Amino acid sequence: MLNWWLPENVSTYGKDIDWLFHLIYYITGVTFILVAVTMVAFLWVYRDRPGRRARYTHGSTPLEIAWTVVPALILVVLTLLSVPAWSKIKMTQPDTDFEVLVTAKQFNWQMTYPGADGKFGTADDKTLLDEMHVPVNKVVRVILKSQDVIHSFFVPQFRMKQDAVPGREIRQWFEATRPGKYELPCAELCGFGHSGMKGWIYVHTPDDYAKWAAENLTAEEKK
Amino acid sequence: MSPATLELPAARPANGRARPPLPPPGGGDGPDREPAPPRPLLDNVCLAMLFLIAGEIMFFGGLVSAFLVLRTAAPVWPPPLQPRLPLGVTGVNTLVLLASSATMLAAVRALRRGDGVALVQRLVVTAGLGALFLLVQGYEWTRLIHHGLTLASGAYGATFYTLIGTHAAHVLGALVWLAVTTVLAARGGVLDGRTGTLRACAMYWHFVVALWPVLYLAVYLI
Amino acid sequence: MSATSAAAHAHVEHAGHHELGFVRTYIFSTDHKMISRQFLFLGLFMMILGGLLALVVRWQLAWPETPVPGLGGLLKETGGVLEPGQYNMAFTMHATIMVFFVIMPILAGSFGNFCIPLMIGARDMAFPVLNMLSFWVTASAGLIMLVGFFVPGGHAAAGWTSYAPLASVVEYSGVNWGQNIWCISLFIMGIGSMMGSINYITTIINMRAPGMKLFRMPLVVWSLFITAILLLLALPVLTSGVAMLLFDRWLGTSWFRPSGGGEPLLWQHLFWYFGHPEVYILILPAMGIASEILPVFARKPIFGYHAMAFSMIGIAFLSWIVYGHHMFVSGMNPALGMAFTVTTMIIAVPSAIKTFNWLGTLWGGRIQFTVPMLNALAFVSMFVIGGLSGIFMASTPVDIFIQDTYFIVAHIHYVVFGGSIFGAFAAIYFWFPKMFGRMTNVALGHLHFWPTFVFFNLTFFPMHIIGVGGQMRRIYNPMQYEFLQHQQHWNVVITIGALGLGISQIPFVINFFWSLFAGKKAPLNPWNSTTLEWTAPSPPPHLNWGPTLPTVYRGPYEYSSPESKEDFLPQTAPPVHAGARRH
Ligand code: HEA
Ligand code: HEA
Ligand code: CUA
Ligand SMILES: [Cu+2]
Repeated sequence: MLNWWLPENVSTYGKDIDWLFHLIYYITGVTFILVAVTMVAFLWVYRDRPGRRARYTHGSTPLEIAWTVVPALILVVLTLLSVPAWSKIKMTQPDTDFEVLVTAKQFNWQMTYPGADGKFGTADDKTLLDEMHVPVNKVVRVILKSQDVIHSFFVPQFRMKQDAVPGREIRQWFEATRPGKYELPCAELCGFGHSGMKGWIYVHTPDDYAKWAAENLTAEEKK
Repeated sequence: MSPATLELPAARPANGRARPPLPPPGGGDGPDREPAPPRPLLDNVCLAMLFLIAGEIMFFGGLVSAFLVLRTAAPVWPPPLQPRLPLGVTGVNTLVLLASSATMLAAVRALRRGDGVALVQRLVVTAGLGALFLLVQGYEWTRLIHHGLTLASGAYGATFYTLIGTHAAHVLGALVWLAVTTVLAARGGVLDGRTGTLRACAMYWHFVVALWPVLYLAVYLI
Repeated sequence: MSATSAAAHAHVEHAGHHELGFVRTYIFSTDHKMISRQFLFLGLFMMILGGLLALVVRWQLAWPETPVPGLGGLLKETGGVLEPGQYNMAFTMHATIMVFFVIMPILAGSFGNFCIPLMIGARDMAFPVLNMLSFWVTASAGLIMLVGFFVPGGHAAAGWTSYAPLASVVEYSGVNWGQNIWCISLFIMGIGSMMGSINYITTIINMRAPGMKLFRMPLVVWSLFITAILLLLALPVLTSGVAMLLFDRWLGTSWFRPSGGGEPLLWQHLFWYFGHPEVYILILPAMGIASEILPVFARKPIFGYHAMAFSMIGIAFLSWIVYGHHMFVSGMNPALGMAFTVTTMIIAVPSAIKTFNWLGTLWGGRIQFTVPMLNALAFVSMFVIGGLSGIFMASTPVDIFIQDTYFIVAHIHYVVFGGSIFGAFAAIYFWFPKMFGRMTNVALGHLHFWPTFVFFNLTFFPMHIIGVGGQMRRIYNPMQYEFLQHQQHWNVVITIGALGLGISQIPFVINFFWSLFAGKKAPLNPWNSTTLEWTAPSPPPHLNWGPTLPTVYRGPYEYSSPESKEDFLPQTAPPVHAGARRH
């Protein structure tokens, strides 16, 4: 129902995030409406009219306990519901043989594929600028590095974001569920070229991907 | 003397208006006034110094925790090919600084006795010890710089000079303050009840002294 | 004889014997009320600047790379079109100025100085000279910050958060002196605010009038007390951070540079360890102000006085352990992220207590819709929106998506404008009569409030929508991204709202200056309020009260008490049965 707000989701864990987003949206929405309606009602009912005197009260302990405990409970539940999604996305790494080394620099994304030997740092590594090609329905491990300042690897449709920090190697993953071409903006201020620092992620069907890989990753290596 | 005996202050014309009217009745020290709040536990000067020190602790807390983060992240510490820090000399120097705290305590005791001569003497000794500490530190610094340890030599040099230098700057500041206070005391400006500057100065002195062993431990020993 | 009355005595004698000259009265004054006015003028002046910078930002976002009206003369080379670096500079300085030189001077500086002595019944601050210094140090920091606009290379452009290594290595941002000046100015500002906060804390602890027990203090004094403690403990951490940043830039140290063994995330830890308490420094005084104004115009005691005080203390405690929620996707250990979610969720509970207590205060009241009341009500409702959007971000998985989008920008502005600035407006309208001895114009007050409220929502509400649509913050041109182009019309709406919001401030400016010189003379107690400041003349003279200090007999919010025929019972009114002691 709120899908016109969020960009279309095309990753496996994106729906967990969207579900939580909607849940919080409804909880906070209801809370806000309750607060606003109560407030407007009070403002109307208790507006200053001649001959009335305000109620003299310093508070009410049962009421105060109630409105401390109820929000606290809601928040505890929200916290508990956040745990599984977070640990799935950020704290576990599913097994995969598909790894891409992403090195951010002012103001490009360098995508390195390990080549035929499956290892990084060897002569057959293949580096593309600002584009990444991956097969659909396959866990992709992204190894994030930065050459200079902090950048952030953001794929809105995957609900994926992770800063790339110089001096660190950060492992992330995603699994796209629909072929297509998705924008990869940089989401952390990284200098005057921050705006416009972007790449594309091409999600291919397995066949298309094999064709692309043969042409671009292994073909040149034979030369 | 209670506030009730004060004269009405000559009202400063604010916005060109005449003298303001008296406060409404009922707010004064009438017969049924409640007891005044109990005499404060600590006077303003002590309290303010305590809070200043709390702020300073947070400041050094920032520096020291930043240092510890870099220190624990480093594979080897101190990094190879960098000069070692002079443990022994600095250890003795630590004792010098600690001694200055003791003489400061003696000075405050002299103040309580009302012994002006002893007060000035002890203050001078304290300042002398503080200055000696700084001189030795400065000498060690020049030697380290000769051996090639500078601010720019990686995290090791950066943390060392920033932490120790910041502390030295604080000692220097405290020393200047102490010198001024000593001159005041020598002129007899402290004994006649206006002890605030001296007590504040003493508290601050104890603080910069107490800080040093912590830094010595963090930067030199571990 | 207590130290307090001795100091007061010395002052009274002093003032009695010779008039102070112009300089000592208006410039290097040690009178807390004059210092308060000085802070207010500093903050309002800077607000125009910060606001105009925001409008520049908005223009660029709605109509990217078109000449910004009025900037043609400044940016001759491009004919008024902003360049990406200049855009970064604009929002960096917008936020820096607004946070450090608008809200802090107005709420903590001005109203802290005004309210604390007057509302606890003290003749002045504990250290009047230190107080004066604190203003002039802050003002110099502001001046230094402004100098940065004129140095080659432009002002700081790494965001108000100045993440290293972008901010710590000159080559990465291309900004040299601007960033240095940013560091120096904030370093000095830190010293000034430390002077102020020490003074506030000491004054509140030691200088209360007879009978003014801690739990008879007005809530705004409580809020300022807690704010001062946060300031005292949080700002030194920033001070140490900017010192390291400056050393990295100037002296070649490597605190934050990985190649020398430094750690970029260290800066973020230091910054947010300060930064999160800082955002509560911005909101707590406004909460106090609302708690002050709602009872006055609802003619009712505040609902749950103790809960209000303790929830502020709770917020202050918790604010030290939630800072990691700004770093969920920074590369920090994800297990830590989980822990920070828990604490962040908990910190919403004291805010909930406050919100419902404000509603409780309205319940059964006799509500008068004066201009300060309207602003206070706007504070309550808008703060709730801002706070609720904080819950989205507190949930780590959701924050993965919305971090660094306009959803955050919407949150920022609902809490800082909807919260702090509406609080500041409420306070200005409420205390103006006491501060300047004149009433403000009511018609102009409404003409300011209503458009501000409407345009505020028009500006900042749609930011939630484009944020959820994925628009990143700190981008120069949203049209560079295909997935954002379909929502560009919202950016136009927002900018029109922002322009309206700017124009809506003009009645305020007119009202302020007109009332200052030509407003109706203010009576002693125009709002029939109970707290101590209303027993002093308007404006209070040097040393505030006549020969005797007020004595306090009861809590601060005795409205519509059955004990009195009037609907308010001042804190100074002796108990009804003469001679009888209250508990
Ligand atoms: C005045 C300033 C202020 C205040 C008061 C707050 C209050 C809160 N903030 Fe906000 N925050 C900022 C200023 C402020 N913030 C700024 C400036 C940033 C951006 C910094 C930057 O990156 O530049 C930021 C960023 C920020 C982030 C990081 C986002 C990101 O970059 O990814 C997070 C994440 O958790 C967060 C959370 C919260 C929460 C949970 C509160 C809570 O305290 C809110 C509590 C209030 C309520 C919840 C409403 C009232 C309660 C009820 C009506 C009860 C019922 C409610 C429920 C049952 C849910 N804030
Ligand atoms: C703390 C307070 C504060 C306040 C009050 C504001 C007020 C406003 N802010 Fe700001 N803002 C921040 C704090 C604040 N902001 C912060 C912390 C950031 C994050 C920065 C970062 O990413 O580093 C930010 C970022 C930010 C952005 C995001 C930039 C980006 O990420 O690219 C935008 C964009 O729309 C924006 C807009 C506005 C607008 C339109 C206002 C309006 O409310 C302004 C309204 C205009 C005025 C109040 C001026 C009124 C005066 C006049 C018109 C003059 C009258 C004439 C005479 C007197 C002669 N702000
Ligand atoms: Cu790279 Cu922003
Ligand atoms: Cu925060």
